[in-house]
Amino acid sequence: MSAVRQVAAPHAPGTITRSGVGYWLASLRAMIRFDLGQARQWAGMMLLFQTLMGAGMAVMYGFFYPKISHSTALYITTGTPTLALVPLGFALVPLNVATERIQGTFDFIWSLPVPRSAQAAATFLLFTLLSLPGAVLALVVASWRYGVALSVSPLIVPGAVLCALMAISVGYGMALAISNPLLVNLITNALIFVVLLFSPVVFPASHFPGWLLAADRALPFYNMAEVIRAGLTRGLVTDLGTCYLILLAWTAVGWALTAWVVGRRK
Amino acid sequence: MTELATSVTATGVRAGAGYWLDSYRALTRWHLAGLRMWLMLLTVVQVLAGAGFVLGIALFFDHIPATAALYVCTGVPVVNLMIVGLILGPQLVAEQKLQQSYEFVRSLPVPRTAAAAAWYTVCLLAGLPAVTVSLLIAEARYGISFSLSPAIVPAVALTAFTGTMMGYALSHAVPNPMVTQLVTQLLVFVVFGFSAILFPAGQLPAWLASLNWWFPFEHMAVIVRAGLTAGLATGIASSYLIVAGWGIAGAAASAWALGRRG
Repeated sequence: MSAVRQVAAPHAPGTITRSGVGYWLASLRAMIRFDLGQARQWAGMMLLFQTLMGAGMAVMYGFFYPKISHSTALYITTGTPTLALVPLGFALVPLNVATERIQGTFDFIWSLPVPRSAQAAATFLLFTLLSLPGAVLALVVASWRYGVALSVSPLIVPGAVLCALMAISVGYGMALAISNPLLVNLITNALIFVVLLFSPVVFPASHFPGWLLAADRALPFYNMAEVIRAGLTRGLVTDLGTCYLILLAWTAVGWALTAWVVGRRK
Repeated sequence: MTELATSVTATGVRAGAGYWLDSYRALTRWHLAGLRMWLMLLTVVQVLAGAGFVLGIALFFDHIPATAALYVCTGVPVVNLMIVGLILGPQLVAEQKLQQSYEFVRSLPVPRTAAAAAWYTVCLLAGLPAVTVSLLIAEARYGISFSLSPAIVPAVALTAFTGTMMGYALSHAVPNPMVTQLVTQLLVFVVFGFSAILFPAGQLPAWLASLNWWFPFEHMAVIVRAGLTAGLATGIASSYLIVAGWGIAGAAASAWALGRRG
């Protein structure tokens, strides 16, 4: 609140121009501070949940194998960051939107004199930054558990950032576009189930029948895993360009959904 | 409810086997009617999740070993059986507490044991369709031919009983509904990933395997597996004892919690 006032204050009343790049950037800064203030309450819990979920799943998958080969261990370990990012973007972000809707925070934020695109951009930026430590921690736990040596390349940085941004954008867009929280909840749970069992995140794609793999190529989860795996291993991922394109396309879908809902008047 | 009302006004005696049976019947019907939407949705979700797990496990492997398939296919029914009583039941009661309808249900003039028995019946009924479908899909997908023995009946009944009673204790002995919800969510993790239900205990680290021995989940899988296959399960007698022990402990904790005034 006070942050917003500080932005508007330097302008004398009457001369305020609520447009232009400068105003947009000032709004973005104010909204990030606003969101950060809220995030203080739950960021710690989120980090814990994310790390436990990612690392817990990674450990769990190992129990299903009578003997864990090096390749199995490598796939599970490099799939872990994806397992930590998916629930955040596709479950926690929609849940957050649903809570804000119920509490009325959502309407309040929309009533602030800031461009709504700046509000959405602040949310995307903040969640993306907050989601990465949990993914890294989950990866550390998994690689310790399976004793896998990773060859980390600079590719991991754009890869992980894009994956986080995509998951959050799609989760946010979906939560905005579907106004019934129950339906969002149902979709979220179904998606998590699909990711954990039917997406080649922690198993090689060669285990999958052709039709299922084709579906997974179009969905974001397999592509997330491939993009992150490419930054952690050498020679395992071959179709990196396509994966990036598909992730970019899903990010665009998330943004388009957000823009569509945000642009409508109630 | 009407049956209950007539029996009470006609005789005025709120005791005896007849009254107990009337109460049991009335409350079972009450649950089935009140939860009909929830139960239908639950059955669909359980069937889909069970089928998904049975089919999805094949994707973990290049060629799924026969033992791995057998363990998952005989483990999924166990999860189906106990998840209603152990996880969803307490969540339902936690919701009732938050919505403040819990006190009303407790104030109904039915014996506590009849109420518990009615809830057990509902949980058992809710689990059975998914059990059947999971087993049929397993048979079709992996060509496993189960050798059903009569032991399956007590195994299924006891597994559902212990799951329900543990959940019952969790619902009634833990006063704060938020704690109940947190514990049940944690239990989902424990049951699916860290208990030797869907895979042999030998695949767990030694310390976790020995910890598992003290909990009922692995033993539920042992007794159900003994009823479905020949020669796979060992130590069946001790497993029955441990599962029954947890069931009785759950019932005792519930009785203590429900018997208190307050």
